[in-house]
Amino acid sequence: MRNYIVFGRRSTAQLTFALGMALVVVFSLIPAVGILVISFTDIRSLPFLPVHWVGLENYRTFFSAAQLGYNTVALTNTFVFAFAVTLFQNSLALLIAVLLNQRLKGRNFARAVVFLPTILGVTVIGLIFTLIFNPAAGPAQQLWAAFGSSSAFFGDPNLAMALVIFVQVWSGIGVAVVIYLAGLQAIPQELYEVADIDGATSGQKLRNVTIPLLAPAVTANTLLCIIGSLQSYQLIYVLTGPINPATQVLSLAIFTQGFGGAQGGTVLSQGYAAAISMVQFVIVAIISLASLAYLRRRETAL
Amino acid sequence: MSTLPVAAVPTGSSGLQTPASEGIGGRPHRAWAWVSYALMGLVVVIYLYPLLFLVNTALKSNAEFLVDPTGLVKDPQFGNFVQAWQQGNFAAYVLNSVVYTLVAATVGTVMSLMIGFPVARGYVKHPKVWQGLFAAMLFLPNTLVTVFQLALRLNLYDTPLGYILIMASGVGVGPLLVTGYLNSIPREIDEAAAMDGAGYLRYMFTFLPRLMMPVLSTAFILQAIGVWNDIILATILFTSQEHWPVTLGLFNFKGTYTSEWTLLSAATMIVAAPLLLVYLFLQRYLVASVVGGAVKG
Repeated sequence: MRNYIVFGRRSTAQLTFALGMALVVVFSLIPAVGILVISFTDIRSLPFLPVHWVGLENYRTFFSAAQLGYNTVALTNTFVFAFAVTLFQNSLALLIAVLLNQRLKGRNFARAVVFLPTILGVTVIGLIFTLIFNPAAGPAQQLWAAFGSSSAFFGDPNLAMALVIFVQVWSGIGVAVVIYLAGLQAIPQELYEVADIDGATSGQKLRNVTIPLLAPAVTANTLLCIIGSLQSYQLIYVLTGPINPATQVLSLAIFTQGFGGAQGGTVLSQGYAAAISMVQFVIVAIISLASLAYLRRRETAL
Repeated sequence: MSTLPVAAVPTGSSGLQTPASEGIGGRPHRAWAWVSYALMGLVVVIYLYPLLFLVNTALKSNAEFLVDPTGLVKDPQFGNFVQAWQQGNFAAYVLNSVVYTLVAATVGTVMSLMIGFPVARGYVKHPKVWQGLFAAMLFLPNTLVTVFQLALRLNLYDTPLGYILIMASGVGVGPLLVTGYLNSIPREIDEAAAMDGAGYLRYMFTFLPRLMMPVLSTAFILQAIGVWNDIILATILFTSQEHWPVTLGLFNFKGTYTSEWTLLSAATMIVAAPLLLVYLFLQRYLVASVVGGAVKG
């Protein structure tokens, strides 16, 4: 890349660049690096309290007997949530995309409707489903009653996670569908025509044309979904609150430990919450890199 | 060899086929058409029923809801909306959210342009390093704790300014979208503009935005959706109710009127209605933006 500037002096470019970067560095990059730094301290939510270096103390606490039970639950929940959301969201999105890619009357309307939750936002979605799964008088309860059963829904520890996963998939599927549709439409029509001339059956066309050419879209969707769901918590927060053990995920653990959503206030410091952030960061990094490597290999294998 | 007759042949002419094996964009075979329509109908119902149920509940009187919570409304109570609007103080919250979203997303988009343009063109040193940093910025740890500490120590805690600055700095894929787009535009355009006497600032702030409107609006929309949806950062950064965005206002309303489902539904409708309206008009744009940003990311 040529490094000369066509606009005379270089200083204006440097100045505006520095100005823009300053904001990003101060409010986005420093906090990111700061998480690692303060995870070695006992910093608290009140200013003017002395801050001490505690070394690996917070990480030891994370794996200590007192916290391990809680953290194992949070970790397990995070994995269950991320795995289920990734699996269901992707497979259903692919089915819906293929369905809505056919020349059907009203398919544009259906596409628009599926994408709608992206715009509505977590709070509105959370309240809508609180209403639907209202244990006292919701339509879901009537459905359960039709089968001679009843449920506390989000209040039922055995069901809460499944429902949260359902709502997350419901609200997130639109983006995945649109990405798959873009992938399907990018496949040149000629390839199907050539396959027809060669006398390929529908199954062969699916196996040898559609699936290999859709592989990049599958990679993009799966990766987006894994990264997103491992770190997501806004919807869970709105649906079941910050301290429900049945739906406690790592991100919510950061929130509760750092900002006292936990019952009886928080005894541990925000340094400890930062340590949870780092644990989560490492987990997300390992899982997304491993999935990326796996998906890329699959792409070339197809 | 002519290609036209081939293209005119319907792709789905064999009998045994699943919708998946249907030629792309093809017309489904008659046997499958009704299955496809049924499935599409099911999808639409799964998405529209919750919304329609919300509207239905929002229009009921408390008495009617108690007697028949799921039936169709018989005596619509439009007063519910007035009551929710007043008791929930939504005018103030909606205004806050609109200001936060517009300012943060605008500042973020301008920043994406200011840092993306010189990096794409090599007008600053080490463009490769900066480019790598833009990509790395998508994979940062959860910074709730440090953002809170930063706000606290910079005296920005519980101030709209602090919240807006933090939200604006979350530029996400913005800089990458800018560099990606500029890589496809020849440098000669810069040179021609410079020859005609345009300065760097004038070029960046008047020529480029016109040239790359789709990319900049994608960056803006992606960031705006993120700001509008945020509830956690607002929860930890604001104590004063007067600064709350509408997400927090609505969530708090739920806490206060836990069992008043009709009022709660009316409040939810108040927040959802403007979004539905925006979506109705900008649907194509919004969808394209989210896909463009997601695939890039």
